[in-house]
Amino acid sequence: MIYDFFYNWFNGFLSPLLSFILGWVAVFIIGVLITLNIPIILGWVDRKLSARIQSRYGPTYNGPFGLLQNIADVIKLMGKRFITNRNVDTLVLNIVPVALSLLAFIMVFIIPWGNPNLILVSVPFNLLFIYIAMALSPLFVLLAGWSQNNKYAMLGGFRGAAQITTYELSLLLIFVGVGMLSGSYNITTIVNAQSHIWYIMYLPIMFIVFLLSSLAITERAPFDLPEATQELQAGWKIEYPGIRYGLFFIAEYVRLAIAAMLLVYLFFGGWNGPVLPDYIWFWAKTAVVTFVLMSLRWVFNRPRMDQLIKIGFNWLLPLSVINLLIVGAVLFY
Amino acid sequence: METVERLKSEFSSSLTSLPSTNANETLLLLSENEALKKLVKSISTEFDILFTLLVVDRPPEAFELNYVFSRYRDSALLTIRVNLNHDKPVIDSIAKILPSAEWEEREAYDLFGIKFRGHPDLRRILLQDDWPGRPLRKDFVVTDEIRNWTGLDLKF
Amino acid sequence: MKDSTQNKITINIGPVHPSTHGVLRFIVDISEDTIVKVDPEIGYVHRGVEKMAEMKNYNSFMPVADKLDYIAALNWEVLYADVIEKALNVSITPRTVYIRTIMCEIQRIMSHLLFLAHVGEDLGNTTLFMWGFRERELLMDVVEEVSGGRLAPMYMSIGGVYYDLTLSFGRRLLEVLDTIEHKVKNEYKAISYQNDAFRLRTVGVGVMSKEFGISHGLTGPNIRASGVKRDLRKDSPYLAYDKVDFEVITENDGDAYARFMVRINEILESIKILRQAIKEIPSGETKVKVPWFFKIPPKYTFVRHETPRGEAAMYLVTNGDLKPYRLKIRAPSFYAIQAIKDLLVGNKVADLVTILGSLDPVPGEIDR
Repeated sequence: MIYDFFYNWFNGFLSPLLSFILGWVAVFIIGVLITLNIPIILGWVDRKLSARIQSRYGPTYNGPFGLLQNIADVIKLMGKRFITNRNVDTLVLNIVPVALSLLAFIMVFIIPWGNPNLILVSVPFNLLFIYIAMALSPLFVLLAGWSQNNKYAMLGGFRGAAQITTYELSLLLIFVGVGMLSGSYNITTIVNAQSHIWYIMYLPIMFIVFLLSSLAITERAPFDLPEATQELQAGWKIEYPGIRYGLFFIAEYVRLAIAAMLLVYLFFGGWNGPVLPDYIWFWAKTAVVTFVLMSLRWVFNRPRMDQLIKIGFNWLLPLSVINLLIVGAVLFY
Repeated sequence: METVERLKSEFSSSLTSLPSTNANETLLLLSENEALKKLVKSISTEFDILFTLLVVDRPPEAFELNYVFSRYRDSALLTIRVNLNHDKPVIDSIAKILPSAEWEEREAYDLFGIKFRGHPDLRRILLQDDWPGRPLRKDFVVTDEIRNWTGLDLKF
Repeated sequence: MKDSTQNKITINIGPVHPSTHGVLRFIVDISEDTIVKVDPEIGYVHRGVEKMAEMKNYNSFMPVADKLDYIAALNWEVLYADVIEKALNVSITPRTVYIRTIMCEIQRIMSHLLFLAHVGEDLGNTTLFMWGFRERELLMDVVEEVSGGRLAPMYMSIGGVYYDLTLSFGRRLLEVLDTIEHKVKNEYKAISYQNDAFRLRTVGVGVMSKEFGISHGLTGPNIRASGVKRDLRKDSPYLAYDKVDFEVITENDGDAYARFMVRINEILESIKILRQAIKEIPSGETKVKVPWFFKIPPKYTFVRHETPRGEAAMYLVTNGDLKPYRLKIRAPSFYAIQAIKDLLVGNKVADLVTILGSLDPVPGEIDR
């Protein structure tokens, strides 16, 4: 609880109101730093990994091993002209990138970072809050697609909304299953309940479902249909140049990191592990899961929209329900 | 070839055989333009693909249309040559019989200005709709106006 | 642009679009993600090649023939050289025949590798895209070693080739072929034709029946994927194709997957041809003396070859002048794009790129 730490520290020599404000300011600064660093680090890993798979070098020029390439990209995006087309809904157009990155920012705030105490703001049922932050995104995707007055964007917006809504249903069922097993929607409690046996042993099917769903809701390839470059040019992101595109970029990588962390928390026992300190265990597991999530992108091609929806409703959703029923039956007896 | 014999008996008055310089090719000259559609219909079971349509502009007499037919089972070629009036180049379209002829005819219309009666969609294909002239005709002279043509009201 | 009665949306794909393989344009009417009408527009890279031919000397047209199909330049060079030699009644030396065969097959492998790469890109699999280019690069270097050029080598001259093969050519080519064979059989298998996600997108998509393909005049790998056993290299052998042993690859399904598989197998078949040709290549001269300016008596000369995209042909009409009277170019992709307007109807929008990619069109030769 980093906020509490700052509040108590400031409260030692300042008034409660001032330390309340300063505590939030400190937490915000830390949150922004984390949010900005995720895409820079993950983006570099992504580029280097894809380059290795495809027999390329990847970024090499900026910084050692091209580490500063993404910082250069962000600076470039910030320097671009702020172009807005005519005949677009300017307000909605500009709200969407801010809102989506804000949702990512909220998730960064309420998820533990490898230790029950390494959490920016402690929220009682933070798993549900994270779900809400994820579940709000189809609304904004649809708004973005609609506001741009462009057919590609509109098709992309429809696709994005349909895809995320489909896969969030099974995601919710997974959360319910995990909640039933552990008796709580708090990530700390869920992780502590896995100190003996990881939930992947109880919920193997749900793990697969979660893996696919997390790819689908983060809109990463192979499930990047809403922005499928080859079909819809850039889908619902088509009229967003400059830093507004950069904000989508940030949100995408933050959501990827959150999805990987949730996979570790829900199925691989979070920070539980022998001998080594807990955060090392957590980060090692997260690194492996992120690696898997990223490499899927470079091995599989994208399915078609109807196939994607079919997979979601015909396979993942029934499987989640069956797994949930089994969990319920086991718990009941 | 038996097809050629059959065709000759069927279109006896209007079909004459010409010597061909290419291997496997049978060259026939059709003097009666109206019979083209009937002829193509009668060979379309045998020669199932319009391999290419060669138009040669021979001013001032005629446009020479060479319909090169081919078939998938062997490498035989059948060329039907038709001469069109240079002032009024109109002929029946065979696109309804052989779908592979549709764009070839559009191309001939585009580059030579030959009109195909009964073509489903006779528009220009390679050039813009407002391109001045028919570029593959021999009387088409490439002038500076043509070289700098953009289709827009631009002045450079 | 919404039609309230039929709920139709008109979208414009191209001419500048990531998956149109150049500059093609499709005006597509869709109704609920299903295509109801397609109007392909071509001509965006029309350079007036047939007019240019009438304005140039026979030898000066070679660089233009080279750029007709910029993916398979050598095949078109061979075709143009062949049609002029036939018209002149020049017969080339046995070594030239083999060199041309080798170059044609190298170019065929390069073209097919690029096809695989582009299908991968169209389906959103960038790894296949990079891999296709990686292997193509090896062959590019081989071609560069011989001819000095890469994309448009300008290697064929009328009456032969400009340079003889280099001493290390055969050894180097065989090494490259071993690499490519290994990659196609193993790495490509994992990422494309044995990959379930790839099969999901291609099997049963864009099914082209035998009758449809024949009536629309499709040739080459596209028609062989529909079960028509037709290959000019076998049916009317030119160059050294009657002296080498190879199979005509066919598939029966006629869908995008079959067209992909035909190309995969043709790469392996071309490797087989190349290995035989390298072994059997005779020594001797590589040029027949043909003057730079020459006249061809009035005649009609028709030559057709099997290029990677199908049967390409040139019909040369001469009138005894220094320049051709008329040169008609038959481009196989022209017919593929013509067929696509009927082939696409009823498919999903996302399958447009799959089907278009699987037909392997090149705007350079469509528009001429």
